[in-house]
Amino acid sequence: MLHKAGLTLGDGTTLDDLINRDMNEVSLRVMNDKELYELEMERIFARTWLLLGHESEIPKAGDYVMRDMAEDNVIVSRARDGEVHVMLNVCPHRGMKVCTAEAGNAAAHRCIYHGWAFRSDGSFIGAPIEKEQMHGNKHSKDELGLKKARVHLYGGLIFATWSKDLSFEDYLGDAKFYLDQLFCRTDNGLEMLGPPQRFVLPCNWKIPGEQSGSDGFHTLTLHRSLMEGGIMGGTAESIYDTAPGMYGVDISVPQGHTLRCLEAAQTFKMFADISFEGKTTEERLNLLTPPGVTKEMIPQLFRNLTEDQVNQLATIPPQVGGMFPNILIAFIFAPRMDGGASGALSLHTYVPKGPDKVEFVNFIFAEKDAPEDVKRDMLQNAIWSTGTSGTIEQDDADTWPQIMRNARGHMSKSVTLKYQALHGHERPEGWVGGGDLYPGFTKDDTQWAWWMAYYDLMADA
Amino acid sequence: MTVNYATAAIDKTSVMRGLVSTQRVPLGSEVYNRLLETLYDEAAALDERRFDDWVAYLAQDLVYTAPLRLTRNGPNKDRDVVRTMKHFDENYASILMRTGRLSKSAWAEDPPSRTRRFVTNVRVAQCDTAGEYEVVSYLYVERSRFDNPENESITAERRDVWRLVDGVYKLAVREIIVDQSTLGMSNFAIFL
Repeated sequence: MLHKAGLTLGDGTTLDDLINRDMNEVSLRVMNDKELYELEMERIFARTWLLLGHESEIPKAGDYVMRDMAEDNVIVSRARDGEVHVMLNVCPHRGMKVCTAEAGNAAAHRCIYHGWAFRSDGSFIGAPIEKEQMHGNKHSKDELGLKKARVHLYGGLIFATWSKDLSFEDYLGDAKFYLDQLFCRTDNGLEMLGPPQRFVLPCNWKIPGEQSGSDGFHTLTLHRSLMEGGIMGGTAESIYDTAPGMYGVDISVPQGHTLRCLEAAQTFKMFADISFEGKTTEERLNLLTPPGVTKEMIPQLFRNLTEDQVNQLATIPPQVGGMFPNILIAFIFAPRMDGGASGALSLHTYVPKGPDKVEFVNFIFAEKDAPEDVKRDMLQNAIWSTGTSGTIEQDDADTWPQIMRNARGHMSKSVTLKYQALHGHERPEGWVGGGDLYPGFTKDDTQWAWWMAYYDLMADA
Repeated sequence: MTVNYATAAIDKTSVMRGLVSTQRVPLGSEVYNRLLETLYDEAAALDERRFDDWVAYLAQDLVYTAPLRLTRNGPNKDRDVVRTMKHFDENYASILMRTGRLSKSAWAEDPPSRTRRFVTNVRVAQCDTAGEYEVVSYLYVERSRFDNPENESITAERRDVWRLVDGVYKLAVREIIVDQSTLGMSNFAIFL
């Protein structure tokens, strides 16, 4: 008998009614429920680590960007001491936004309403007319700073949390071995190529959220135009016979992070007819450099990663996946017809904006050490495939809102989402990394792991 | 010298919007009328999803982009067009890839949006190159998706260069300056 969770909605529905762990089913109701949404804000988004950006966006002291931790607007800034700080963009005086721009540089943020001012680390400077002490006498200045989140930089990515005790290490878990291969592989790391694309979809955040739990299977049908374009191999007519891109090793960790690793040899076969057999790690990397990495940068991989990590990157690299709760990773091979640099490096966050609204934030990267022409191509590849106009994600944006509309129907909302095509954990021979592993055809295991991470946080009152 | 793609502007660095050339082509002149007619015909081709007809308006050296808008304040408050990041970053070949996809197996736009493109506030000026014209227009798009009674919409300024080739105007450059920093439209599976 599974342990019963400490969550009951107003009508008596429990978390176990919504997420059936015996049957691997989830009630469609979860995709549009106001009460559940409020609990998600408290139990997930106020408790776990959230991705906000990259330190390359704010290189100088005073640089800042405005971002959202769910519906809480925050300032992400680099203070005079060089450290990155994240704080609520809410003036403790009368609740006004202290910062009104999406990006900029400011030694201090002065609220335009009554003039309370804050340093770039969030600490309170004072209110105008110092001698009148307009901040009153009940709080010392030390107590009147902007509310701060804890910050952790990982591969330059800026994560923040309201949790007082969750360590970033515990948040990453065994996913680190794999994610290092994407975010921490070069000497100078990643660079964000510009501010993120942002657009709003009329759908609940969990619809793209659970898909980012490495739903490989939808690619075959929803994104069939990828096959037609030859991008994933095969043709539109032979999609279901050849199932390109479906075989590999899927990974999940109990924290809800998931990845799909696809054999480099298979990926390479789509581009050129040279065998990978018998080649050394270095030779393989030279034949198929990871997306965004040039041949000249290959020695950097050996400097920054362990031998096991480089070997995986050269053999069966992680390419797509997600980090719980709302991050999609797409570090993909994307061949260009004109011979330009292949590949796209995108991260998305799906930021909740109400039970029926999500903001799609698309961060686009290149390796900082890559030449300018490679960065240019990487930007274009990412724009062509992902985000606002991306030919892959156009299809998703037309699909997700319709799932949510269905979740409103009195009868429809009790339909369950099925995660019953399960492979089960199986460690391939010679595999080095940790986590639960699902070799072969991509199935529902990773998405179910995403739901179990959701369950764990939501059950914990 | 390597161009820093992160900071390079498309042309005259100080120009965020509007016309660059001061050699205005007056309203009602033959050239103005022909270009206006071309914009209307182009909008109709897109609204009616006649992609082959639309592609016929495009020059082979086309540069078609949509930079981001960013909310800024203080001394930078009017420098809000961010050309380091874009919603579209297209050339002729990539447009063909997109129209080809939409004509065949894409699920986006199948079933298609019903769109209505309103083109107004058209201003025309001569470029330095003979036979090329800067055409700045305002664009307002209403887009109906599925059976949803609420339309999505978007407004933008388009800064075009149209080139007279064998008696017809071809689009050589288009920069679409959208007004929203966070788009209210759920994707750009349509052209602007």
